[in-house]
Amino acid sequence: MKAFRFLRPRTLAEASEALRREPGAVPKAGGVDLLDRWKERVEEPEVVVGLCDVTDGAALRLEEDGALVLGALATLADLAGSDLVRRFLPALARAADQAASPQIRHRATLGGNLAQATRCGYWRLRSFPCLLRGASRCPVREPGGVQETAGIFANDPCASAHPSSVAPVLGALGAEILVGGGPEGGRGLAFEALWRAPEPGRSDVLALEPGELIRAVRIPPSAHPVRVGHAEVRQRAAFDWPLVTAAVGLTLDADRIREARVWLGSVAPTPHRARAAEAALTGRRLAEVRATFDGRAAAEGATPLPGTAYKAGLVAVAARRALADALERS
Amino acid sequence: MSREVTYRVGLIGPEDLVARHPALRREITVQVHDLDADPWPVDAALRWVGREVPRVDGEAKVTGAARYTYDVHPHGLAFAGVLGSPHAHARVVAVDDAAARAVPGVLAVRTFAGRRVTYAGQIVAAVCAENPRALDDALAALRVEFEPLPAAVTTEDALAPDAPRVEPGRTEGNLHAPPEPGNRAAVDEAFAAAPVRVAAEYRTSVQTHSCLEPHGCVAQVHPDGTATVWASTQATSFFARGRFSRELGVPEARVRTLTEHMGGGFGSKFGALEWDVIAAGFARETGRPVQLMLPRRLEHLLGGNRPDSIQRLELAGTADGVFLGLKGETFGTAGNGPGGAGAANHSVYRIPALWMRQSEVATFTARGAAFRAPRHPQGFFALESLIDLYAARLGADPLEVRRRNDPHPVRQAQWELGAERFGWAAARARRDAGPLRRGAGCAAARWLNAGRPPWQVDLTVRADAGVLVANAAQDIGTGMKTVLAAVVAEELGIEPGRVQVRLGDTRDPAGPGSGGSTTTASLAPAAREAALRAREALAARLAEHWGVPAAEVRSPAGGFEGPEGRRASFAEACRLIGDEEVRVQGTRRPNWAGPFGETAGCQFAEVEVDTETGVVRVLRVVAVHDAGRVLNPLTARSQVNGGVLQGISYALYEEKRLDRALGDMVNPTLDTYRILGLADCPRVEVLLTSLEAGFNNCGAMGLGEPATVPTAAAVANAVFHALGVQVRELPMTPARVLAALEEAPR
Repeated sequence: MKAFRFLRPRTLAEASEALRREPGAVPKAGGVDLLDRWKERVEEPEVVVGLCDVTDGAALRLEEDGALVLGALATLADLAGSDLVRRFLPALARAADQAASPQIRHRATLGGNLAQATRCGYWRLRSFPCLLRGASRCPVREPGGVQETAGIFANDPCASAHPSSVAPVLGALGAEILVGGGPEGGRGLAFEALWRAPEPGRSDVLALEPGELIRAVRIPPSAHPVRVGHAEVRQRAAFDWPLVTAAVGLTLDADRIREARVWLGSVAPTPHRARAAEAALTGRRLAEVRATFDGRAAAEGATPLPGTAYKAGLVAVAARRALADALERS
Repeated sequence: MSREVTYRVGLIGPEDLVARHPALRREITVQVHDLDADPWPVDAALRWVGREVPRVDGEAKVTGAARYTYDVHPHGLAFAGVLGSPHAHARVVAVDDAAARAVPGVLAVRTFAGRRVTYAGQIVAAVCAENPRALDDALAALRVEFEPLPAAVTTEDALAPDAPRVEPGRTEGNLHAPPEPGNRAAVDEAFAAAPVRVAAEYRTSVQTHSCLEPHGCVAQVHPDGTATVWASTQATSFFARGRFSRELGVPEARVRTLTEHMGGGFGSKFGALEWDVIAAGFARETGRPVQLMLPRRLEHLLGGNRPDSIQRLELAGTADGVFLGLKGETFGTAGNGPGGAGAANHSVYRIPALWMRQSEVATFTARGAAFRAPRHPQGFFALESLIDLYAARLGADPLEVRRRNDPHPVRQAQWELGAERFGWAAARARRDAGPLRRGAGCAAARWLNAGRPPWQVDLTVRADAGVLVANAAQDIGTGMKTVLAAVVAEELGIEPGRVQVRLGDTRDPAGPGSGGSTTTASLAPAAREAALRAREALAARLAEHWGVPAAEVRSPAGGFEGPEGRRASFAEACRLIGDEEVRVQGTRRPNWAGPFGETAGCQFAEVEVDTETGVVRVLRVVAVHDAGRVLNPLTARSQVNGGVLQGISYALYEEKRLDRALGDMVNPTLDTYRILGLADCPRVEVLLTSLEAGFNNCGAMGLGEPATVPTAAAVANAVFHALGVQVRELPMTPARVLAALEEAPR
């Protein structure tokens, strides 16, 4: 790891200020992902803004209007253990509780989970060429590339996959992202606006402005009943990266689906919204989708590589199971 | 020099099995060396041997007090590391180390310019520095110019006619094929006449040892011309040999090697390897103690692996389940040089006509290493899978087919015991309708090892009745310290807690490497003989003290008796030692011919397969093993548990993934190189059929390796039963399971 200057602000405002003041500075919360990247020297920041002493970033609260605001510095264990989250957002509590290992859940933060980088082994090892690190092509896509865990949507020119299993659930909840500086500033982003498509030579896929931090995630109140379900396919029962995650959020009008939000994880460079599946669900009656939804719409638009053909099938299975989970749970 | 001893050997337990199999007990006569102890008969009433004695170093391990090589920090320690090639095949044109040498704290740099590297990770430079940070900065500052050359990193790619050659100019290319066995025509004839033939191709992947404690050592040259080395090795006695001691500049006899505790070896840590030799050179060059432990990525790349395999097998049999013949051709990657890439797939059952050719294929990858039952898990996976295919063709119970062809009397009893405890009939009768399907499978295990000479064990008794047992062999984690303490306690009639066992220090007599499941069975008999010597020595002192002839002092368990009611406890006898100490030695004598032959075992597995996602979970395993006489059921069960879990991990998860074009490993971390975790552990029931095997004075045989031989095969057969289709490549990942299901006839 290359030596860096380490700043320790006390508030989000100070942290934002530090990030603005120091061009190229990198914020670090739990450090679960970043430390590996720095040790491998895939990234070599000069200045790190540590968020460990920030005291105003971890609150989980219910606003007067019924919105839930989840501080970005809350850990996954905080989410999984919070009465508020378990009561109002049980699918999120479950997803947080199933991620990684207990040790990691106690360090990894909500903001860090959303901002985490791909697990692509090519990107993470300096000895491999990688499009995001300046190579002319993505070796995963080349003959001989190891593809099994690569993305199947939006995978040209970069076949990476965003591994967050919490993000799809937040997408299905219709979450917004609050980014920005201190109490004076900040802005709200639609969930998908937190990310942008990968660009050659640029490692991260976050659409943040310089100096901006993820401050919180807001789950807006809904005038209608909402049901959210989640399903994950992974090889090992615990402490494994998902092969595919799916989350389905349904806003209901009696027994009819008023609005559907279907999000997938580990299938594209950023969390992926499955619009065709949403269209297949919207306006339908629950009994009907229960009987007929086979999930295949969620895989529409997939462009799998030879080694990832099986993942399109997994997407359909996960979407179907996420829907079943949504219908069963709430 | 020897005496004839006739005694009863055979199955010690479980009792009901002994009752059902009277043929598994018999009387044998052996020639016992005059100095050796009489063997324990099958029904010997033993106080400690065969009992659950907890690990003597358990507390040190769970509290973190146990010192591993990583934890050794002599004053003035310097840190060394190596830089590996990112190319599978390249010439190192130049290494610019100016920037690395300029890093403050760098003590020494070695480069290997001009070297032709033939695998990714091969060392091209090394650095020694004051602290880990300077080391890391210096390694990052090295600039290496490579001339990349074409490579072939998979067995198939290396077999292609135009594949680049690992050994340039070798006319046979990368194929290392043994001469064709001469009996092909006879075997073909047997096959032509056979009513039933089944054939299939099975594949296994490269598995890395993934020792939690990576390879490495701490080397220190002392001003007096001696040296000390702390090594994470499974062959402490031989670590400092050859190149290592030459690089150190200290003759082997003046090097003290220490392995206090070991964080895993599995066959990959025999002797000093290239980076150890580099550490030795730095220790001499800098005059400082030097630590060099491989980082995880290089541990995966260089630390050894189980070669992969392509196995094309054909089995012939009768219509009622009797094997007639086996033909097979196998290929395995041997890395950048031949050795150890065969598959043991014909060694358990009665197979009259056998033709088998096993070839090794040189590839541009790091060389394989011995790995817990080398060649066996892969070979057993293929043959045991083929047997289930044959049984399915006949519509027969695969367990019955095995029993019809299994000549081993002990395994016959084990099949019976295991099937009963597993509930084989019920598990096989189950049919699931939904996407989750359960299945049950079984497979056989074997091993042949009862330890061997010529080792010596030192034993010291002091006046306070403290006993020290010492040998330079390392406890690789099997619990040998605990077992030796129990054997000595048994012979001396004292508590195991009174016996201190010192292992892994070459100041003590040399001991075996931890290979072939031999260490316990090699050293326990010598320790027992040493304890017998100590008893005799104490008896002699008592005789002198009592003023009676030595022959009149007897030593029943726990004490001594002389004429006219004279008695002394062990502790009382020890007081006679005074300020001296009693130092004796026991020797490992040659084995006798045990009448039951090799170690037997079998395992049963139940799995649940999600047919929509291809995810396989192992629900439970019943593992039946003998190990000769089980000296400590607690540590023996640990060995079997570990073997089963490692076997499941091999069956379902572990795979070294190389980019076929670039040749480097894509998953050299413990989060992407999947190893079974706690949540994936099934219920494992271990049934030990303890057997006084008649090979040595303890009746002991090996267990560490057979425990992992059948697991992947049993799991694969359970998957076959669940799905009705075989997944013929390990690990059985979701992608492979789904692909197999897609090709299945509906």
